[in-house]
Amino acid sequence: MDYIIEGFIEAFNLLISFDIELYRIIILSLVVSFTATIISTIIAVPIGILMGIKEFPLKRVAIRVIYTMMSLPPVIVGLLVFLFISRRGPLGILGIVYTPAAMIVAQTILITPIIIGLVYNATKEKGTDIQALGKTLGASKSQRLVLLVKELRMNIFTGIIAGYGRGISEVGAVMLVGGNIKGHTRVMTTTIAMLQSMGEYSIAIALGIVLLTISFILNSILYYYQQGDLSEY
Amino acid sequence: MNININRLTKIYNNKTVLSIPKLQIEKGALLGLIGPNGAGKSTLAKILGGLEEASSGNILYDEELISTSLLKKITVVAQKPYLLRGTVYYNIAYPLKIRKVEEAEIVIKVDEMLKEMELLEIKNQKAWTLSGGEVQKVALARALIFNPSLLILDEPTANIDPSTILVMEKMIKKINKDKGTTIIIVTHNLQQASRLCDKIAFIYRGEVIELSKREQLLKNPQNILTRDFIKGELLK
Repeated sequence: MDYIIEGFIEAFNLLISFDIELYRIIILSLVVSFTATIISTIIAVPIGILMGIKEFPLKRVAIRVIYTMMSLPPVIVGLLVFLFISRRGPLGILGIVYTPAAMIVAQTILITPIIIGLVYNATKEKGTDIQALGKTLGASKSQRLVLLVKELRMNIFTGIIAGYGRGISEVGAVMLVGGNIKGHTRVMTTTIAMLQSMGEYSIAIALGIVLLTISFILNSILYYYQQGDLSEY
Repeated sequence: MNININRLTKIYNNKTVLSIPKLQIEKGALLGLIGPNGAGKSTLAKILGGLEEASSGNILYDEELISTSLLKKITVVAQKPYLLRGTVYYNIAYPLKIRKVEEAEIVIKVDEMLKEMELLEIKNQKAWTLSGGEVQKVALARALIFNPSLLILDEPTANIDPSTILVMEKMIKKINKDKGTTIIIVTHNLQQASRLCDKIAFIYRGEVIELSKREQLLKNPQNILTRDFIKGELLK
Protein backbone atom coordinates (compact mmCIF):
# COMPACT_ATOMS: atom_id res chain seq x y z
CA MET A 1 0.00 0.00 0.00
CA ASP A 2 2.89 2.34 0.83
CA TYR A 3 4.25 2.34 -2.71
CA ILE A 4 0.87 3.46 -4.01
CA ILE A 5 0.69 6.36 -1.53
CA GLU A 6 4.32 7.30 -2.26
CA GLY A 7 3.53 7.10 -5.98
CA PHE A 8 0.64 9.54 -5.57
CA ILE A 9 2.73 11.98 -3.48
CA GLU A 10 5.54 11.92 -6.02
CA ALA A 11 3.04 12.27 -8.86
CA PHE A 12 1.58 15.44 -7.31
CA ASN A 13 5.10 16.81 -6.77
CA LEU A 14 5.91 16.23 -10.45
CA LEU A 15 2.72 17.95 -11.54
CA ILE A 16 3.18 20.92 -9.20
CA SER A 17 6.87 21.34 -10.08
CA PHE A 18 5.98 21.46 -13.80
CA ASP A 19 8.38 18.64 -14.67
CA ILE A 20 9.46 19.33 -18.27
CA GLU A 21 9.42 15.73 -19.45
CA LEU A 22 6.00 15.11 -17.94
CA TYR A 23 4.48 18.22 -19.50
CA ARG A 24 6.09 17.47 -22.88
CA ILE A 25 4.29 14.12 -22.86
CA ILE A 26 0.99 15.72 -21.82
CA ILE A 27 1.20 18.44 -24.48
CA LEU A 28 2.11 15.98 -27.27
CA SER A 29 -0.83 13.76 -26.25
CA LEU A 30 -3.23 16.70 -26.38
CA VAL A 31 -1.87 18.00 -29.70
CA VAL A 32 -1.98 14.59 -31.42
CA SER A 33 -5.53 13.79 -30.26
CA PHE A 34 -6.80 17.34 -30.87
CA THR A 35 -5.41 17.37 -34.42
CA ALA A 36 -6.81 13.91 -35.17
CA THR A 37 -10.21 14.99 -33.81
CA ILE A 38 -10.27 18.13 -35.97
CA ILE A 39 -9.40 16.14 -39.12
CA SER A 40 -11.96 13.46 -38.21
CA THR A 41 -14.67 16.07 -37.61
CA ILE A 42 -14.08 17.66 -41.01
CA ILE A 43 -14.36 14.24 -42.68
CA ALA A 44 -17.02 12.61 -40.50
CA VAL A 45 -19.71 15.25 -39.93
CA PRO A 46 -20.61 15.73 -43.62
CA ILE A 47 -20.47 11.97 -44.22
CA GLY A 48 -22.67 11.24 -41.19
CA ILE A 49 -25.24 13.83 -42.28
CA LEU A 50 -25.28 12.67 -45.90
CA MET A 51 -25.67 9.05 -44.83
CA GLY A 52 -28.58 10.09 -42.63
CA ILE A 53 -30.53 12.02 -45.25
CA LYS A 54 -29.58 10.48 -48.59
CA GLU A 55 -30.34 7.11 -50.11
CA PHE A 56 -27.61 5.47 -52.17
CA PRO A 57 -26.70 1.97 -53.37
CA LEU A 58 -25.16 -0.28 -50.69
CA LYS A 59 -26.16 2.14 -47.94
CA ARG A 60 -26.97 -0.68 -45.53
CA VAL A 61 -23.59 -2.27 -46.12
CA ALA A 62 -21.88 1.09 -45.60
CA ILE A 63 -23.73 1.55 -42.28
CA ARG A 64 -22.67 -1.89 -41.08
CA VAL A 65 -19.07 -1.16 -42.05
CA ILE A 66 -19.18 2.10 -40.08
CA TYR A 67 -20.70 0.38 -37.03
CA THR A 68 -17.98 -2.28 -37.19
CA MET A 69 -15.29 0.37 -37.51
CA MET A 70 -16.65 2.17 -34.44
CA SER A 71 -15.21 -0.64 -32.36
CA LEU A 72 -12.01 -1.21 -34.31
CA PRO A 73 -9.26 -2.60 -32.06
CA PRO A 74 -6.55 0.10 -31.89
CA VAL A 75 -3.72 -2.42 -32.33
CA ILE A 76 -5.23 -3.57 -35.63
CA VAL A 77 -5.41 0.04 -36.83
CA GLY A 78 -1.86 0.60 -35.58
CA LEU A 79 -0.63 -2.48 -37.40
CA LEU A 80 -2.36 -1.58 -40.69
CA VAL A 81 -1.14 2.02 -40.58
CA PHE A 82 2.34 0.79 -39.73
CA LEU A 83 2.34 -1.65 -42.68
CA PHE A 84 1.32 1.16 -45.03
CA ILE A 85 3.77 3.80 -43.77
CA SER A 86 6.75 1.64 -42.88
CA ARG A 87 9.75 2.04 -45.19
CA ARG A 88 8.77 -1.03 -47.22
CA GLY A 89 5.07 -0.08 -47.28
CA PRO A 90 3.18 1.59 -50.16
CA LEU A 91 3.28 4.94 -48.34
CA GLY A 92 6.78 4.50 -46.97
CA ILE A 93 7.96 7.34 -49.20
CA LEU A 94 6.19 9.77 -46.87
CA GLY A 95 8.70 8.94 -44.16
CA ILE A 96 6.26 9.48 -41.31
CA VAL A 97 6.70 6.22 -39.43
CA TYR A 98 7.60 6.83 -35.75
CA THR A 99 6.50 10.48 -35.95
CA PRO A 100 3.54 12.34 -34.40
CA ALA A 101 2.09 12.55 -37.94
CA ALA A 102 1.76 8.75 -38.02
CA MET A 103 0.05 8.85 -34.62
CA ILE A 104 -2.40 11.46 -35.93
CA VAL A 105 -3.18 9.26 -38.96
CA ALA A 106 -3.84 6.23 -36.74
CA GLN A 107 -6.05 8.18 -34.32
CA THR A 108 -7.95 9.80 -37.21
CA ILE A 109 -8.79 6.32 -38.53
CA LEU A 110 -10.03 5.33 -35.06
CA ILE A 111 -12.03 8.51 -34.37
CA THR A 112 -13.68 9.11 -37.77
CA PRO A 113 -16.10 6.12 -37.69
CA ILE A 114 -17.20 7.03 -34.15
CA ILE A 115 -18.19 10.55 -35.19
CA ILE A 116 -19.78 9.31 -38.45
CA GLY A 117 -21.83 6.70 -36.55
CA LEU A 118 -23.10 9.11 -33.90
CA VAL A 119 -23.90 11.88 -36.41
CA TYR A 120 -25.57 9.37 -38.74
CA ASN A 121 -27.80 8.04 -35.93
CA ALA A 122 -28.93 11.53 -34.96
CA THR A 123 -29.54 12.54 -38.57
CA LYS A 124 -31.50 9.35 -39.26
CA GLU A 125 -33.70 10.05 -36.24
CA LYS A 126 -34.49 13.72 -36.83
CA GLY A 127 -33.04 14.64 -40.23
CA THR A 128 -36.11 13.87 -42.35
CA ASP A 129 -38.41 15.93 -40.10
CA ILE A 130 -36.00 18.86 -40.03
CA GLN A 131 -35.47 18.77 -43.79
CA ALA A 132 -39.22 18.53 -44.42
CA LEU A 133 -39.88 21.42 -42.06
CA GLY A 134 -37.26 23.57 -43.77
CA LYS A 135 -38.84 22.81 -47.13
CA THR A 136 -42.36 23.66 -45.97
CA LEU A 137 -41.15 26.95 -44.52
CA GLY A 138 -39.45 27.93 -47.78
CA ALA A 139 -35.81 27.36 -46.82
CA SER A 140 -33.36 26.91 -49.69
CA LYS A 141 -31.12 23.83 -49.87
CA SER A 142 -28.24 25.59 -48.14
CA GLN A 143 -30.58 27.06 -45.50
CA ARG A 144 -31.96 23.57 -44.85
CA LEU A 145 -28.44 22.23 -44.39
CA VAL A 146 -27.61 25.02 -41.94
CA LEU A 147 -30.89 24.32 -40.11
CA LEU A 148 -30.04 20.62 -39.92
CA VAL A 149 -26.59 21.26 -38.46
CA LYS A 150 -28.02 23.78 -35.97
CA GLU A 151 -30.71 21.38 -34.83
CA LEU A 152 -28.24 18.49 -34.53
CA ARG A 153 -25.42 20.52 -32.99
CA MET A 154 -25.64 18.79 -29.62
CA ASN A 155 -25.41 15.35 -31.23
CA ILE A 156 -22.48 16.48 -33.38
CA PHE A 157 -20.73 17.88 -30.32
CA THR A 158 -21.30 14.62 -28.43
CA GLY A 159 -19.75 12.71 -31.32
CA ILE A 160 -16.69 14.96 -31.34
CA ILE A 161 -16.18 14.63 -27.59
CA ALA A 162 -16.59 10.84 -27.78
CA GLY A 163 -14.06 10.75 -30.62
CA TYR A 164 -11.55 12.86 -28.70
CA GLY A 165 -11.99 10.63 -25.67
CA ARG A 166 -11.30 7.57 -27.80
CA GLY A 167 -8.17 9.18 -29.28
CA ILE A 168 -6.54 10.40 -26.10
CA SER A 169 -7.17 7.18 -24.19
CA GLU A 170 -5.97 4.61 -26.74
CA VAL A 171 -2.54 3.05 -26.47
CA GLY A 172 -2.13 0.27 -29.05
CA ALA A 173 -2.20 2.27 -32.28
CA VAL A 174 0.08 5.11 -31.17
CA MET A 175 2.52 2.63 -29.65
CA LEU A 176 2.85 0.73 -32.95
CA VAL A 177 3.12 3.69 -35.32
CA GLY A 178 4.82 6.16 -32.97
CA GLY A 179 7.23 3.78 -31.29
CA ASN A 180 7.04 5.56 -27.90
CA ILE A 181 10.29 7.44 -28.58
CA LYS A 182 11.34 9.65 -25.65
CA GLY A 183 10.94 13.33 -26.39
CA HIS A 184 9.52 12.61 -29.83
CA THR A 185 6.47 10.33 -29.89
CA ARG A 186 5.95 9.49 -26.24
CA VAL A 187 2.37 10.21 -25.14
CA MET A 188 0.52 9.66 -21.88
CA THR A 189 -0.91 6.22 -22.56
CA THR A 190 2.28 4.72 -24.02
CA THR A 191 4.28 6.17 -21.12
CA ILE A 192 1.93 4.68 -18.52
CA ALA A 193 2.18 1.25 -20.20
CA MET A 194 5.97 1.47 -20.35
CA LEU A 195 6.45 2.69 -16.76
CA GLN A 196 4.10 0.06 -15.37
CA SER A 197 6.24 -2.66 -16.95
CA MET A 198 9.34 -1.01 -15.43
CA GLY A 199 7.76 -0.77 -11.98
CA GLU A 200 8.07 3.06 -11.89
CA TYR A 201 4.72 4.26 -10.77
CA SER A 202 5.04 7.95 -9.87
CA ILE A 203 5.01 9.39 -13.41
CA ALA A 204 2.50 6.73 -14.44
CA ILE A 205 0.16 7.84 -11.64
CA ALA A 206 0.71 11.51 -12.50
CA LEU A 207 -0.22 10.85 -16.12
CA GLY A 208 -3.16 8.73 -15.00
CA ILE A 209 -4.41 11.68 -12.92
CA VAL A 210 -4.04 13.98 -15.93
CA LEU A 211 -5.91 11.53 -18.20
CA LEU A 212 -8.73 11.22 -15.69
CA THR A 213 -8.84 15.01 -15.27
CA ILE A 214 -9.07 15.48 -19.04
CA SER A 215 -11.87 12.92 -19.19
CA PHE A 216 -13.67 14.70 -16.34
CA ILE A 217 -13.27 18.11 -18.01
CA LEU A 218 -14.55 16.79 -21.37
CA ASN A 219 -17.58 15.20 -19.77
CA SER A 220 -18.22 18.33 -17.72
CA ILE A 221 -18.16 20.45 -20.88
CA LEU A 222 -20.55 18.02 -22.54
CA TYR A 223 -22.86 18.04 -19.53
CA TYR A 224 -22.75 21.85 -19.37
CA TYR A 225 -23.72 22.18 -23.03
CA GLN A 226 -26.40 19.52 -22.73
CA GLN A 227 -27.96 21.42 -19.84
CA GLY A 228 -27.61 24.70 -21.72
CA ASP A 229 -29.10 23.09 -24.78
CA LEU A 230 -32.08 21.84 -22.83
CA SER A 231 -32.71 25.23 -21.30
CA GLU A 232 -32.38 26.80 -24.74
CA TYR A 233 -34.66 24.27 -26.43
CA MET B 1 -53.45 29.87 -55.86
CA ASN B 2 -55.28 27.75 -58.46
CA ILE B 3 -54.38 24.08 -58.43
CA ASN B 4 -54.90 21.62 -61.28
CA ILE B 5 -54.15 17.97 -60.69
CA ASN B 6 -53.76 15.89 -63.84
CA ARG B 7 -53.53 12.08 -63.96
CA LEU B 8 -51.75 11.94 -60.64
CA THR B 9 -50.67 8.57 -59.28
CA LYS B 10 -48.55 7.43 -56.38
CA ILE B 11 -47.27 3.88 -56.21
CA TYR B 12 -45.67 2.32 -53.12
CA ASN B 13 -44.24 -1.20 -53.40
CA ASN B 14 -46.15 -1.89 -56.62
CA LYS B 15 -49.40 -0.80 -54.98
CA THR B 16 -51.26 2.26 -56.24
CA VAL B 17 -52.12 4.31 -53.18
CA LEU B 18 -53.29 7.39 -55.05
CA SER B 19 -54.94 7.79 -58.43
CA ILE B 20 -56.56 11.10 -59.32
CA PRO B 21 -57.33 11.62 -63.02
CA LYS B 22 -58.39 15.26 -62.61
CA LEU B 23 -59.01 17.61 -59.73
CA GLN B 24 -59.27 21.36 -59.70
CA ILE B 25 -58.99 23.52 -56.61
CA GLU B 26 -59.83 27.19 -57.14
CA LYS B 27 -57.88 30.08 -55.68
CA GLY B 28 -59.14 30.99 -52.23
CA ALA B 29 -60.90 27.66 -51.71
CA LEU B 30 -61.09 26.04 -48.30
CA LEU B 31 -61.20 22.39 -49.21
CA GLY B 32 -61.57 19.52 -46.78
CA LEU B 33 -60.17 16.09 -47.51
CA ILE B 34 -62.05 13.40 -45.63
CA GLY B 35 -61.84 9.64 -45.73
CA PRO B 36 -60.89 6.60 -43.67
CA ASN B 37 -57.35 5.87 -42.46
CA GLY B 38 -55.03 4.85 -45.27
CA ALA B 39 -57.27 6.37 -47.94
CA GLY B 40 -54.44 8.50 -49.34
CA LYS B 41 -55.39 11.90 -47.88
CA SER B 42 -52.02 12.54 -46.24
CA THR B 43 -50.14 11.25 -49.29
CA LEU B 44 -52.07 13.74 -51.45
CA ALA B 45 -51.34 16.50 -48.92
CA LYS B 46 -47.61 15.68 -49.00
CA ILE B 47 -47.49 15.62 -52.79
CA LEU B 48 -49.37 18.92 -52.96
CA GLY B 49 -46.95 20.39 -50.42
CA GLY B 50 -43.90 19.27 -52.39
CA LEU B 51 -42.79 16.85 -49.69
CA GLU B 52 -43.26 13.78 -51.88
CA GLU B 53 -43.04 13.20 -55.59
CA ALA B 54 -45.86 11.68 -57.60
CA SER B 55 -45.18 8.48 -59.50
CA SER B 56 -46.84 9.94 -62.59
CA GLY B 57 -48.98 12.89 -63.63
CA ASN B 58 -48.53 16.49 -62.61
CA ILE B 59 -49.86 19.33 -60.53
CA LEU B 60 -50.06 22.87 -61.84
CA TYR B 61 -50.01 25.67 -59.30
CA ASP B 62 -51.24 28.79 -61.12
CA GLU B 63 -50.21 27.05 -64.36
CA GLU B 64 -46.70 26.33 -63.01
CA LEU B 65 -45.09 23.05 -62.07
CA ILE B 66 -43.54 22.77 -58.60
CA SER B 67 -40.23 24.64 -58.30
CA THR B 68 -37.95 26.06 -55.62
CA SER B 69 -39.48 29.52 -55.94
CA LEU B 70 -42.99 28.08 -55.83
CA LEU B 71 -42.18 26.12 -52.67
CA LYS B 72 -41.64 29.43 -50.88
CA LYS B 73 -45.39 30.13 -51.30
CA ILE B 74 -46.59 26.72 -50.13
CA THR B 75 -46.57 25.36 -46.60
CA VAL B 76 -47.67 22.24 -44.77
CA VAL B 77 -48.56 21.90 -41.09
CA ALA B 78 -48.10 18.29 -40.05
CA GLN B 79 -50.16 16.36 -37.53
CA LYS B 80 -47.12 16.16 -35.26
CA PRO B 81 -45.16 19.29 -36.10
CA TYR B 82 -41.43 19.59 -35.43
CA LEU B 83 -40.58 22.68 -33.43
CA LEU B 84 -37.09 24.12 -33.68
CA ARG B 85 -34.75 24.32 -30.70
CA GLY B 86 -35.43 27.70 -29.17
CA THR B 87 -38.35 29.78 -28.04
CA VAL B 88 -41.86 30.19 -29.43
CA TYR B 89 -40.75 33.57 -30.81
CA TYR B 90 -37.74 32.00 -32.58
CA ASN B 91 -39.94 29.36 -34.20
CA ILE B 92 -42.44 31.86 -35.56
CA ALA B 93 -39.72 34.30 -36.67
CA TYR B 94 -37.70 31.65 -38.53
CA PRO B 95 -39.55 31.79 -41.90
CA LEU B 96 -39.12 35.58 -41.96
CA LYS B 97 -35.44 35.34 -41.03
CA ILE B 98 -34.68 33.02 -43.95
CA ARG B 99 -36.54 35.46 -46.21
CA LYS B 100 -34.14 38.18 -45.00
CA VAL B 101 -36.95 40.35 -43.57
CA GLU B 102 -35.59 43.21 -41.45
CA GLU B 103 -35.38 42.51 -37.73
CA ALA B 104 -37.67 45.42 -36.75
CA GLU B 105 -40.36 44.18 -39.13
CA ILE B 106 -39.97 40.63 -37.82
CA VAL B 107 -40.57 41.81 -34.25
CA ILE B 108 -43.78 43.63 -35.25
CA LYS B 109 -45.14 40.78 -37.40
CA VAL B 110 -44.36 38.05 -34.88
CA ASP B 111 -45.90 40.03 -32.02
CA GLU B 112 -49.08 40.55 -34.07
CA MET B 113 -49.24 36.85 -34.85
CA LEU B 114 -48.60 35.89 -31.22
CA LYS B 115 -51.47 38.14 -30.18
CA GLU B 116 -53.88 36.76 -32.76
CA MET B 117 -53.05 33.19 -31.89
CA GLU B 118 -53.25 33.88 -28.14
CA LEU B 119 -49.60 32.91 -27.72
CA LEU B 120 -48.26 36.19 -26.31
CA GLU B 121 -47.93 34.80 -22.78
CA ILE B 122 -45.65 32.00 -23.92
CA LYS B 123 -43.61 34.10 -26.35
CA ASN B 124 -40.32 33.36 -24.60
CA GLN B 125 -41.14 29.83 -23.51
CA LYS B 126 -38.91 27.03 -24.81
CA ALA B 127 -40.48 24.84 -27.48
CA TRP B 128 -39.93 21.60 -25.55
CA THR B 129 -42.01 22.85 -22.61
CA LEU B 130 -45.20 23.40 -24.65
CA SER B 131 -48.39 21.34 -24.47
CA GLY B 132 -49.76 19.54 -27.54
CA GLY B 133 -52.26 22.30 -28.26
CA GLU B 134 -49.63 25.01 -27.92
CA VAL B 135 -47.30 23.14 -30.27
CA GLN B 136 -50.05 23.03 -32.92
CA LYS B 137 -50.81 26.72 -32.47
CA VAL B 138 -47.11 27.64 -32.80
CA ALA B 139 -46.82 25.46 -35.91
CA LEU B 140 -49.85 27.16 -37.47
CA ALA B 141 -48.56 30.63 -36.54
CA ARG B 142 -45.16 29.76 -38.05
CA ALA B 143 -46.86 28.64 -41.28
CA LEU B 144 -49.03 31.74 -41.53
CA ILE B 145 -46.38 34.34 -40.69
CA PHE B 146 -45.08 34.50 -44.29
CA ASN B 147 -48.53 34.66 -45.95
CA PRO B 148 -48.39 31.49 -48.03
CA SER B 149 -50.56 31.21 -51.15
CA LEU B 150 -51.33 27.59 -50.35
CA LEU B 151 -51.72 26.26 -46.82
CA ILE B 152 -52.02 22.51 -46.30
CA LEU B 153 -53.09 21.27 -42.89
CA ASP B 154 -52.78 17.58 -42.08
CA GLU B 155 -55.03 16.80 -39.11
CA PRO B 156 -54.04 20.05 -37.43
CA THR B 157 -56.34 19.71 -34.45
CA ALA B 158 -56.14 15.99 -33.69
CA ASN B 159 -56.00 15.32 -29.93
CA ILE B 160 -56.12 18.93 -28.78
CA ASP B 161 -58.51 20.73 -26.50
CA PRO B 162 -61.69 22.47 -27.78
CA SER B 163 -60.60 26.01 -26.83
CA THR B 164 -57.37 25.63 -28.84
CA ILE B 165 -59.33 24.17 -31.76
CA LEU B 166 -61.59 27.23 -31.65
CA VAL B 167 -58.65 29.66 -31.85
CA MET B 168 -57.05 27.70 -34.69
CA GLU B 169 -60.24 27.41 -36.71
CA LYS B 170 -60.92 31.12 -36.27
CA MET B 171 -57.44 31.88 -37.61
CA ILE B 172 -57.78 29.45 -40.53
CA LYS B 173 -61.07 31.09 -41.57
CA LYS B 174 -59.63 34.58 -41.14
CA ILE B 175 -56.55 33.95 -43.26
CA ASN B 176 -58.72 32.36 -45.96
CA LYS B 177 -61.16 35.29 -46.01
CA ASP B 178 -58.72 38.19 -45.56
CA LYS B 179 -55.77 37.02 -47.64
CA GLY B 180 -57.52 34.71 -50.10
CA THR B 181 -55.17 31.88 -49.14
CA THR B 182 -56.07 28.54 -50.67
CA ILE B 183 -56.39 26.07 -47.82
CA ILE B 184 -56.56 22.29 -47.93
CA ILE B 185 -57.34 20.57 -44.67
CA VAL B 186 -57.06 16.84 -44.06
CA THR B 187 -59.43 15.88 -41.28
CA HIS B 188 -61.22 12.94 -39.75
CA ASN B 189 -63.54 15.26 -37.96
CA LEU B 190 -66.68 15.74 -40.05
CA GLN B 191 -67.94 18.45 -37.71
CA GLN B 192 -64.72 20.36 -38.24
CA ALA B 193 -65.06 19.94 -42.00
CA SER B 194 -68.60 21.21 -41.70
CA ARG B 195 -67.51 24.25 -39.65
CA LEU B 196 -64.56 25.21 -41.86
CA CYS B 197 -64.76 24.05 -45.44
CA ASP B 198 -66.54 25.40 -48.51
CA LYS B 199 -66.06 22.17 -50.39
CA ILE B 200 -65.26 18.65 -49.24
CA ALA B 201 -63.63 15.78 -51.13
CA PHE B 202 -64.22 12.23 -49.97
CA ILE B 203 -61.19 10.05 -50.68
CA TYR B 204 -61.35 6.29 -50.56
CA ARG B 205 -58.63 3.82 -51.56
CA GLY B 206 -56.61 6.53 -53.25
CA GLU B 207 -59.43 7.91 -55.37
CA VAL B 208 -61.56 11.02 -55.08
CA ILE B 209 -64.98 9.43 -54.83
CA GLU B 210 -66.96 12.62 -54.46
CA LEU B 211 -66.22 16.33 -54.41
CA SER B 212 -68.96 18.80 -53.77
CA LYS B 213 -70.12 21.68 -51.66
CA ARG B 214 -70.03 21.12 -47.92
CA GLU B 215 -73.82 20.96 -47.38
CA GLN B 216 -74.38 18.64 -50.27
CA LEU B 217 -71.61 16.20 -49.39
CA LEU B 218 -72.48 16.02 -45.72
CA LYS B 219 -76.28 16.11 -45.98
CA ASN B 220 -76.98 14.61 -49.36
CA PRO B 221 -74.01 12.61 -50.64
CA GLN B 222 -74.44 11.18 -54.12
CA ASN B 223 -72.12 8.22 -53.78
CA ILE B 224 -72.98 5.25 -51.62
CA LEU B 225 -69.40 5.02 -50.26
CA THR B 226 -69.55 8.65 -49.14
CA ARG B 227 -72.91 8.03 -47.57
CA ASP B 228 -71.62 4.98 -45.71
CA PHE B 229 -68.53 6.83 -44.51
CA ILE B 230 -70.57 9.74 -43.22
CA LYS B 231 -72.86 7.33 -41.44
CA GLY B 232 -69.75 5.73 -39.99
CA GLU B 233 -70.52 2.47 -41.69
CA LEU B 234 -67.65 2.33 -44.14
CA LEU B 235 -65.22 -0.47 -43.53
CA LYS B 236 -61.62 0.00 -44.58
